[in-house]
Order: sequence, then structure tokens, then C-alpha cells
Amino acid sequence: MSSEDRVQVAASFILQSPPGEINDVLNDVRVIVDDDAGLEEGILPALREYNIAQFTTVEVPGEHHQTIISEFARVPDTEEERYLDPRSKISFVFNHLTLEATDPQSEEPSEVEPQRAALDSAALSYLNSHYHDGVVTVLAMSTTRFTIQIVSNKYNPSNYWAGRWRSHYEIDFESRTIQGRVLVNVHYYEQGNVQLSTSNDSSISIPAAVSSLSPASSASKIFALIEAEESRCQASLNDAYHEMGEKTFKGLRRALPLTRQKIDWDKTMGYKLGAELTASNRAFGAQPR
Amino acid sequence: MAEGPDPVDSMLDLMRRLPPTNVEQNVNALIQICPDYADDLLGSVDQPLKVKTDRATGKDYLACDYNRDGDSYRSPWSNEYDPPIDDGTAPTPKLRKLEIAANEAFDTYRELYYEGGVSSVYLWDLEDGGFAGVVLLKKAMTPTSPDEPSGSWDSIHVFETVERGRQAHYKLTSTVMLELVTKQNNKADETSVLHEPEKKASEQGWKSSGEITLSGSMTRQTEQDWPVHEPTSHITNTGKMIEEMEMKMRNLLQEARSFLSRDIQDLIIAQVYFGKTRDIVYDLRSMDDLEKARRQRELQKELVGFIKR
Repeated sequence: MSSEDRVQVAASFILQSPPGEINDVLNDVRVIVDDDAGLEEGILPALREYNIAQFTTVEVPGEHHQTIISEFARVPDTEEERYLDPRSKISFVFNHLTLEATDPQSEEPSEVEPQRAALDSAALSYLNSHYHDGVVTVLAMSTTRFTIQIVSNKYNPSNYWAGRWRSHYEIDFESRTIQGRVLVNVHYYEQGNVQLSTSNDSSISIPAAVSSLSPASSASKIFALIEAEESRCQASLNDAYHEMGEKTFKGLRRALPLTRQKIDWDKTMGYKLGAELTASNRAFGAQPR
Repeated sequence: MAEGPDPVDSMLDLMRRLPPTNVEQNVNALIQICPDYADDLLGSVDQPLKVKTDRATGKDYLACDYNRDGDSYRSPWSNEYDPPIDDGTAPTPKLRKLEIAANEAFDTYRELYYEGGVSSVYLWDLEDGGFAGVVLLKKAMTPTSPDEPSGSWDSIHVFETVERGRQAHYKLTSTVMLELVTKQNNKADETSVLHEPEKKASEQGWKSSGEITLSGSMTRQTEQDWPVHEPTSHITNTGKMIEEMEMKMRNLLQEARSFLSRDIQDLIIAQVYFGKTRDIVYDLRSMDDLEKARRQRELQKELVGFIKR
């Protein structure tokens, strides 16, 4: 297998890393591929893809908050990969391998900053209400379109679990729609490897009345819609667990046989089969071939 | 070259981290990178069991690394390899008799607990005179419509036995692999149960679809001594051990149900597999308003301070 092909396989492993375990996966991959030079050269695109797909967060240089590394936050036409933190209006160079943000620069706020800031502030109070440890970014895509990303991570390697919640919303005030996607991944690996992966796509209409409201009021209406949808999504996970427990699980393997008793092994096979086998065994022993 | 970490250890660590749903594809990829370790990998990573049909008897059997010789698999029903090979490994005639009886016994076990599915038992002689075996059980649920849940259960019970006089010592390693997939589709008319006024306002235009996949494997070991009166005692003994083990593991996996009560105490205490994954989601996002709870605590503190004054 060529060095490029090996790096390609390594990249596929990296993209499957569970929340918070990318460094463990990288360590394993290094030993398996056994070609640090080739890996260092070829693995960067996979790390970049992983960071963007998994809503990787980074502390904004000089600020006391985190922002999400996202394709939507890319500052266009820069030589190095530069990302914008829309809240502080600071852009920075991001290293996908070391996860470091450097070289902060101020950026001009967009013309829809009042609406964006209103959404950002509504987003922060929503986060405060429902996320234990979340990060949110609100980006203006045009005068009427905004992208909202939310990520919440919990890593607890000493108790063998980790989890990640990602939400992505495209708000379009012109077509009055919210397109949303929620992705949840959980890894529990104490004496095993159990993973939960959920995806939920939603499409919500924004009531016509919202467009006549002030930026602050319309932002809080938008987040009321998002809150309702996310709570519904979380509740439906409960329903799914219930259904799996009640129906699917029973359909696969019963807790007890229909008789509601454990099998009497001596009875079911001991006498008949046992007698046959003992007899044939003796015969076999008595007449060596 | 300096002694580095063992690649096999790294491969096994990797397989414990990557999604169980991709285990086959990932094992194949690892074998491509490191063909020298193919046997180590195939021997230590449990993969979903493949169902094959015995050409001679028409009965289904399960294929795994334990009944594999090269690219052929031995059927427990006819003892034949498929594709046929001349000198495929097979148990001695004496052990084969026990294997036949074990297959019949676990076929009954399968019917009683799984009401369907496929079972296979393979035995092999050990150099020290004892023998070892594997009991395989598989059941898959295929949905009749796209909205129905689907799932599969694979059990792999590997045991080794050493006879000591009228006693036998058994070492059992059991792995259960489970996969459950649920799809959900919702439209506006189903939201009337929600009381949020904002939701009502948007009732004409709301739809949502989702998919939930729970997959995983867990492994447990046990060692026990049981009396042996006759050769078939090994079947009753391993039968009891496997039945007990599957019961334990099924309970461990199923506890998910007890989590459905919203009791916070339950959520904190419980430490089981699928249920655990659900708890973690609540650690990420809270259904209740955390800010409200914080304010309530503040208010309580103030009140306590007020009363004390």
C-alpha cells in the first residue's frame, strides 16, 4: 500500500473520531501508519475537515470567550486561513493541527450588525438557559440571512464517556424560514464501546408578524422557535429510548422464555441426547478404529 | 529500530473508539495498511456475525473467525466447508459428537429466547487435552416500513474448559453486539401537544425528521467450576453459564428503560449502557430552564438570609 493510500485510510479514521478523542485516535494512527513524515504532510486536510464538521471551538485571542471554527466564518481572500469571531469582530489565523488562534486583527462590522448582535444576545441567553457548557456563533451571511451554530461538549475520560451536541440554523428573513439540523454524538466506553448518534432536520416557518418587530424582539421570537424545536427533539429521543426498550429490545431477545422460567438444561437435553451420546462414546472408545 | 508501542495494541484501542457500526469497514482498512497483523486483528476484534446457508442441509449457520479456514467456513450442521476445501480443520470425531449435541441444545435455547434468529456452536481440541468452543447467536429485525425501528443482536460466547477429575473449570468470555435504529418523522399537525404559543403561530409550516442510532458492544468474563458426570455435562454447564451471562448483559443493556422516569436521582445513580448515553445528552443540553433554576436558588438564598435576619 502506498504512503498516500495509508494516509488516506488514516484520514478516514480521524474523521470518525468520537467527541474529545481525536488525540487518542491520532496517537493510534501514528503507531499504525508508522510514517510520521508522510502523516504530517498528508493529514492536515482531514484535521481541517474534522474541525469544521465538529464545530471545534477556540478561545479568541485577547477575548474571554470562545468561537466556533466554521466555513461560514472564513475571512475571504486571505493567504493564511483566517476566521472571524463575529461577536468581537476580531479575525485570527487558525492552525488546524495545534488548534491555536494567532495574529488577531479587527474587522469592520457588517451593515446588519444590529440584527446580528440582537440574535447573538438572544442566543447567549438561550444558551444560558439550556446548555451546561455551550458555545454559540451568529454570523451574518447577507442582509437577510444569518447562520447560527451551537456546540456543547462534555468530555469525561476518567469515567469513559464523552458527548457532543451540535445545532446549525440558517435563518432567512426574506423567505421567513429557519432550516435547522441537530446532531448528537455520545460515546460510552467502560468495558465496551457504545455510541449514540442522532440527527434531526427541521424546517420552521417564521410568522409574518416577526418581520415588523424590533431586532431584539424578532431575535427572541426566533430563539423561542428554536427552543421549542430543540426541546421537542430532545423529548423525541426519550420516546425513541422508550420504544427501543419496549419493542425493539423485546423483539430481539426475550428476558425469559415464554414459560417464564429459565431453561432446565438437564431436562431439555440431558436425558435423551446424553444417553445417546454416552452410549456412542462408549462404543467409540471400545472399538478403536 | 527502538521498541515502540505494539501496533496491535494501537489497532485494538482504535477499534474501541471508532463507531461500532463501521467495525467491518475499519477492520478491513486496518488489514490493508498492516496485512501482517491480519490474524491478530481478526482474532481479537469481534465483528457482526455473517449468516450463511449450509448447502447440504439448507439450514442457516453463522460465520466467524472460529469456523474459518482460509476463505472457507465450516457449517456446524453438515461439518462441510463452503467453498469446499480438502483438509479443513475439524474437531476429532469424539468432539464432533459433542458439537452436534451442543448445536441441538443451543438451537432450542435460541428458539426459547430469540424466537427466530440463527445459532451455531463450534468446538475445537486444545493441545493440553481440554477443549474450547464458541456459542454464537444472532437475531436481526428487519423493518417492514421505513418508519419502523430496526435492530440486531449478536452474541459471541467463547469458552475454554479443563477437566479436573469429576470437575471442570470453565472460562467464559462473552460479547454482545447490539444495534438499534429508529427513524422519526413529524409534521405540524402533531405539534398541537406542545403548549408554546410560538409553536402554534408557526403551525402551518413546520416539519422535522430524525434518525437515532444506538450501537455498541460490551464484553464480560466469568470463570466457574461445575461437576462433570458425562460428556454432555459440558453442554448443560456452559448452557447454564451462557444463559446467566446473557441475562445479566441483557439487563445491563436494557436498563435504558428505567431512565425514562425523570427522577434526577435515577439519572445520577444509574450506570448502564444505553441509558448512560441518554444521560450524557442531558449533560449537554437541559430540558429545564437552567437560568430559572439558578434564579430560584438565588431567591431561596435571599429568603433564608431574610429569615435569619
